[in-house]
Amino acid sequence: MTKQKISTVSAVMLTLSIVVSYITSSLPRTFINETKSATLLNIIYITMIVLFIILLFCKLLKKFPGLDLLDISKFLGGNTLRNIVGTLFIAYFIISSSIMLRNFCEGLVVVYYPLTNYIFIILMFIISIALTNRLGFQSTINTASIVFPLVLISAILLFCGNLDNFSFRKIYPVLGDGAYNTFVLGLKNIGAFGGICYLYFLPPMLKEPEKLKKIAIISVISTGFFILLCVGTLLFMFSFFTTTDEIMPLFSAARHIEFGTFFQRFESVFLLIWIISFCCYLSISCKFATHIFNKMLNLSDMRPILNIFIILIFAISLLPKNYAVSNFVETHIYRYLRIAVGFILGMTILILANFKKRKVGDKH
Amino acid sequence: MININNILTKIVILVLVIIFISSFSASYNTLNLDNSAFVVALGVDKSEADKLELTFEFLATSPSGESVSETKPVLNSVQCSSITNGINIMNSYLGKKVNLSHCKLIIFSEELASEGISNEVYSLVNEVQIRPSANIVVSKCNTKYYIENSIPSLESLIPRYYDIFPNTSKYTGYTCDATIGDFFNALICNYCDPYAILGGTTNSENESSQSNSSDDSTIKSSESPITGNRLSQNIGLAVFNDDKLAGELNAIETICFLSIKKEVDNFLVSIPSPNDSNSKIDIYLTPNSTHNINVSLVNGSPYIKLKLDFSGKIYSMTRNSEYLDINILNSISDSCNNYLESQFSSYLYKTSTVFESDINELGSYCLSNFLTTSDFNNYNWLDNYKNATFDVEINTVIDSGFLLTQT
Repeated sequence: MTKQKISTVSAVMLTLSIVVSYITSSLPRTFINETKSATLLNIIYITMIVLFIILLFCKLLKKFPGLDLLDISKFLGGNTLRNIVGTLFIAYFIISSSIMLRNFCEGLVVVYYPLTNYIFIILMFIISIALTNRLGFQSTINTASIVFPLVLISAILLFCGNLDNFSFRKIYPVLGDGAYNTFVLGLKNIGAFGGICYLYFLPPMLKEPEKLKKIAIISVISTGFFILLCVGTLLFMFSFFTTTDEIMPLFSAARHIEFGTFFQRFESVFLLIWIISFCCYLSISCKFATHIFNKMLNLSDMRPILNIFIILIFAISLLPKNYAVSNFVETHIYRYLRIAVGFILGMTILILANFKKRKVGDKH
Repeated sequence: MININNILTKIVILVLVIIFISSFSASYNTLNLDNSAFVVALGVDKSEADKLELTFEFLATSPSGESVSETKPVLNSVQCSSITNGINIMNSYLGKKVNLSHCKLIIFSEELASEGISNEVYSLVNEVQIRPSANIVVSKCNTKYYIENSIPSLESLIPRYYDIFPNTSKYTGYTCDATIGDFFNALICNYCDPYAILGGTTNSENESSQSNSSDDSTIKSSESPITGNRLSQNIGLAVFNDDKLAGELNAIETICFLSIKKEVDNFLVSIPSPNDSNSKIDIYLTPNSTHNINVSLVNGSPYIKLKLDFSGKIYSMTRNSEYLDINILNSISDSCNNYLESQFSSYLYKTSTVFESDINELGSYCLSNFLTTSDFNNYNWLDNYKNATFDVEINTVIDSGFLLTQT
C-alpha cells in the first residue's frame, strides 16, 4: 500500500477520521431518535461492549502478528475465502463512502448551494480525493492527523459555545424508551464504531505492530468520547430530534453559537473543517479498498485501480433517486452493513482462524 | 517535443473549470450581494379573506453594497396564502432575491397568534437563511404599524436597535430575549410551551397609552405610561398554549418568568415599606445561583416547590433613612420576601390555571420522576400542569444602599 509505515498516533487519527463522517451526517439523529433521553447511557453501554470486542480482537490477533484480515482469511479458507472477504470489504468501503458522500453533499446543497446540482458538489469531492491519492497515502494520514484535532476542538467548542442553551435535565427519564430499547435494540448503534473495520487491515502498515492493542483501545475510547460530546450537545439543546429530522444535526447546533453581537455565524468554519475531514475519510476508504484489491490480485501498481474506485464512488453516489432514498439507505441499511461486515464477518473469521491455528498446532 | 499527456491534462483541467464555473454561478448569483434584498424585520399579519399579510422591512444599501446609515425603513407588504409565496411574490416585485439571513425580528399580530402560528413557524425554521437567534414578537397592533414605528431614536441603524433591545431583559427583566429557535423547540417539546416578546405601540408621540396600572411594575406593551419619539414598545411577554396565544404577562410577571429561568442578571422592584404601608422602597435585586426547583407528584398532581434566593441593595433614599441598622434591613428583607412570594405565586398560578401553559419548562424537573419516556408521555404533563400546586420560598438578603447608607 505504501512504503512508509503509519505511526501509532496517525493510526488513531485515521480510525477517528472515520467517525467524523458519521457524526456530521445522520448518526446523532439516529441515536437520539431511537434511544431518546437514554442516548448517553446507550453510548456508554455500547462503548463498553465495543471495548470488550476490541480486546477480544487483539487477543485473537495475537496468534497472527503483523498479518491483516486478508492474510488470516487465506490461512483459514485459502485464496477463495480471501477473495470473498476482500470483495465484501471492498464493496463495504466503496458503498459506504458513496452513500455518506451523497448525503453530505445533499446537506451542502441545502445550506450553501441552493441552485447547484448536487452532482457538481460530489464531483468536487471526487476531484479532491483523486488529487490526494496522487500525493500518496502518507499525505492523507498526515492531513487526518492535523484535521482530527481541529474537528475535536470544533466539537468541544460546539459543546461549550452552546452551554447556555443546555438543559441537562433532558437525560431524564433515565431509561428513555425502556431498558429493552436502550440495551437490546440499542445494540444496533454499535455500527457507529465502524472505524474498527479499518483496524483489520492496519497491522502490516504499522511502524510498531505490537502497539495495535494500544491503538485499538485509544480509538474506541476516543470514538466513544467524541460521539458522547456531539450527541450530548444535541440532546441537551433540542427537544425536537426525537420527532423531527434535520438534514445536518450538528450544523443546526453550530448555528446557535454566538458570543455577543460580534462573534456570530461560526457554522461556516465548522463546515469547512468537516468538509476537509470528510475528504480524508473518502481518501482513506478509497485507499483501503485499493489496498485490498491489490493484495487479492497481487498487483504492484495501485494508481490505475485507485482512479477506478474513485469513479465507482462517484457513480454509486449518483444512484439514489433523491435524499429520501440515500437517507433511507444510510439509516436503515448501511448501519446493519457496518455491523455485519465490521463486527460479525471480521470477528467470525478471526475466531475460526484461531480454532484452526489451535488445531494445526495440536497436530504438530 | 509536444507532450500529449500534458496537453490532455490541461484540457481536462480547462473543461473542469468551465463546468464548475457554469454550475456554481447560479448559486453565486442567487446569494450575491447585488442580487439580494436584506430583510431586517418580517411582519406576519392576518389580512382580509383569511390570507396572510407579510410586511418586509429592508435595509437600504448603497451601490457599493454598504448599508446606508439612515433610520428610515423601506417597507413593502404583500397579501399571500403562505410565507413562502409571499417571499416569492416579493422577489418578483423587487427584482431581487429576498434574503432573510439578517432578519433579526419576526413579528406576528395578536390576531394571527390567537389562531395558531405553528405552520408559519415551521415554514420559517425550514428556511436556511433564518437564524435561530431571530427574535419573535407578538404585536398587539398591526405588524406593519409596529414596524413603521420601531424607528430607533438613539441608534443610527435599525438592525443595531433590533440586536440590542432584547438585551435589556438582562438588567430590567421587563422583556425577554425570545427567539424563534426557542419557540420552535418549545412547540415540539412535550413538557413546555412557547413564549414571545410582547410588542405594541402608544397612540402618538406626545401621548402615553392608556395605562390602568396602579403599580409601575404592572405595565405592559400598549398599556404603559411612556411617551417618546419611538411609538413601539416591548414590555411583557406573550404566552402560548401549544401554538395559540393564551395570554399576556406584565412587567413584574416577566421578571418572575425570567428569574425562574435564570435569565435575568438584575432587576428593580418596588416593595411596600415595612414602616409605612403607603410608601414604597426600590430594591435592586440580583438572583443568586442557588435557585432550587423541585417537582414531585402528589395524588397524581404536580407539587412544585421553588426556593429562590436573591441579594439586594436599597436604591431609593429618603430623609432619615437608617440603612445600617440590622433590624431595619431585616424588616425590609421580610417585606421583600413577602412581596416576591406573592408575585411569584400569583404568576405561577396564572400560567397554570389561566393560561394552562408551562413556559418555564417546569415539566423538565418532573422528568426524573419517571423511568421511561412513555411513562412520562402517558402522564401528559401539559394537561396536568393546570392542577399544579406551588410552594414558593423566597430568601432575600438586603444590604444597605449604594453611596449613601444613612441620611
